[in-house]
Amino acid sequence: MTPAIELENVSKVFGKFPAVDSLSFRVPKGVVFGLLGPNGAGKTTTIRMIMNITAADSGDIRVLSSPMTRETQNRIGYLPEERGLYRKMKVLDHLLFLAAIKEVSRENARRRIAEWADRLELKPWLKKKVDELSKGMQQKVQFIATVIHDPEILILDEPFSGLDPINTAIIKDYLTDFRKRGKTIVFSTHVLEQAEKLCDEICLLARSKKILEGNLRDLKRRFSKNLLHLSIEAGPTEIAALPGVASSQAVNGGYVVALAPGTDQREFLRRALERYPLHGFSAKEPELEEIYLDAVHAAGMEETRPIE
Amino acid sequence: MSWTKIFAVIRREYLERVRTKAFWIATILVPAFFLIYMAVQFIAIKKTSGERKIAVVDTTGQLAPALAAELAAREAALRQKNPGSRGIHWVVEPRPITGDLEQTKEALRKEVLSEKIYGYLILDPGLLKKDRAEYYSISVSEFVAIKQMDEAINLTVLRRKIEDRGLPPSVGRELEKRVDLETWKVTNKGVTQEKGAGILAALVFMVIMYSTFIMYGFQNLRGVIEEKTNRIVELVIASVRPIELMLGKIIGIGLVGLTQYLFWSLVAANLSMLGIAGIMAAGEAGAPLIPLSMIGYFILFFLLGYFLYASIYTALGAPFNTDQEAQQLSMIPTMLIVGGMAVYPAVMNNPNGPIAVGASLFPFTAPLIMYLRTAVAEPPGWQIGLSIVILILSTTAMAWFAGRIYRVGILMYGKKPTIPEIMRWVRYRPGKVLQPAAPPRS
Repeated sequence: MTPAIELENVSKVFGKFPAVDSLSFRVPKGVVFGLLGPNGAGKTTTIRMIMNITAADSGDIRVLSSPMTRETQNRIGYLPEERGLYRKMKVLDHLLFLAAIKEVSRENARRRIAEWADRLELKPWLKKKVDELSKGMQQKVQFIATVIHDPEILILDEPFSGLDPINTAIIKDYLTDFRKRGKTIVFSTHVLEQAEKLCDEICLLARSKKILEGNLRDLKRRFSKNLLHLSIEAGPTEIAALPGVASSQAVNGGYVVALAPGTDQREFLRRALERYPLHGFSAKEPELEEIYLDAVHAAGMEETRPIE
Repeated sequence: MSWTKIFAVIRREYLERVRTKAFWIATILVPAFFLIYMAVQFIAIKKTSGERKIAVVDTTGQLAPALAAELAAREAALRQKNPGSRGIHWVVEPRPITGDLEQTKEALRKEVLSEKIYGYLILDPGLLKKDRAEYYSISVSEFVAIKQMDEAINLTVLRRKIEDRGLPPSVGRELEKRVDLETWKVTNKGVTQEKGAGILAALVFMVIMYSTFIMYGFQNLRGVIEEKTNRIVELVIASVRPIELMLGKIIGIGLVGLTQYLFWSLVAANLSMLGIAGIMAAGEAGAPLIPLSMIGYFILFFLLGYFLYASIYTALGAPFNTDQEAQQLSMIPTMLIVGGMAVYPAVMNNPNGPIAVGASLFPFTAPLIMYLRTAVAEPPGWQIGLSIVILILSTTAMAWFAGRIYRVGILMYGKKPTIPEIMRWVRYRPGKVLQPAAPPRS
């Protein structure tokens, strides 16, 4: 299947500072793709280059299998990191304008605005000026603007920054819904917990370079440290004495046990079960943050941390 | 270029501006102020009436009664011509010299101050020999009154001289007649009588151009900065190319200006139907008959000039984040426009002289000056053609230049850029231009 977005050796230098350094990745169609990394890693520059707002110095970018054209531009919904609206415009006029520059007919635009306004409870505000809206309301307007032309791909730069929990929930629902309809979502964030819950695929950036890319489930397996979560009737020393245990730690009445490399999980569990009453167990997957830190460590860029 | 998108931008720029209260206040207030001004002027002229008691110190002993008679005759003639009007009623009061002339004058000065008399006139042989007479009053800026007095004295003195030489009164009446100098404008097609109305109309059109370039040109600068400070520009640029956004804004703002003029000319047309414009244009000028070529040239030079200056203002707005930052550089186009206005008297005096030719070829003054020349004289065809060609080339170049600064500048936030930095944006080219569609990989 052709990817929705494809980057090949893309670089961008601002003055002497490399913002993006030979970056390549593919976004398959129909996935939620997370572009992750700390502030200043090059996420926004990458997104702007995909949108053809900033030109790449070198490399190829293909969106829906060709460089960004007028026609593909109309099939993308974009939410920039720097979010703004014309403050003196009425909400309805504003949305009609943003639809018009995506070449949506006025009639269609009106219908879709009405639908979205219903869904996001924005209807009483349509005739008000943007100025009179609360920040949360303005964010709803901006989200409607990104989908008003029913795009195939959504590109969202830090969509959750500055959102209150209610709006965050609304936007997450909306992203899930969007994906269910077979559309592609690319979003950037520096908050890894959000990405963990939403993404199918990720690309991790640090200091202008890609340090990791792939399917999140595969990555979790790859970065798994052979950890098990055990609920067992045994003391800490008894656990540590079990064959194959590299280290163990008591957690909430149970243990997180790290197995020595090469130890078979089933073999270990069988032995544990023979000796002590075992109430439950689960494989403990590494969290995205741990994967990130490992990847950063492997790349020798420790001081870069995914913290706000 | 997508005209659908450009049209959407034009529509937004236009409607959002025309819908503001500020626009309508300006649109209504300007003609309102103009009308009030005209009305005040008109009333002031009409109201120059009432009694004017003048003391005349006539040391010749011959002129005062004749002057009084002449003033009375003029008053009567005016009343006959225009029965409703209440003109000035002169009351001439001859005064003897008490003491010497200076003492008399001093006494009269006090009388004026205590409002016993309106003013005093000195008719002294010594002065008259030097063709002079002196008039003293609190108000010496009452043009209508002073003009009446001036004409009456001249005529009285003239008659006196004729009588002194012993010429027959018929010769005197002939000498009183004055020659009316008619002005005719020479053109290729012949000659046309020029009563000043055409020139007046040309100047009005020139002022319209001048104020549009400054006011609506500057609106472009503010519009660009506003989009940057609102942080809306990136969202728009994701759908519209920078050049399309720029063109849409320039055209939209220009249309706002045209709307204002359309409104004003409708007001003027309605007023002239009511006959008020007749009063406004009253006097020697007569009803202005504007030749079609004058309107044609106006539209041409107006559009070219507006695009030229709108491009400059856009280019100057794009790099900056606040009006204040842009203020310094925005003086440049303003000075150029004002400069064009400043040379206009020289052009009027010598419409085909070197200053006029130079200023009508220099692209930044060409819209105003070449337009003025086509209205007041008939400049050689090659000069008009060359001026238009230079202007079109400069406008195109400036729009290109502005476009290059614009596409980089609108996404630049933070520190105020230096001029060398801005010049780098113009030359800036990404390392690799976008390749044509590569074959999709399976």
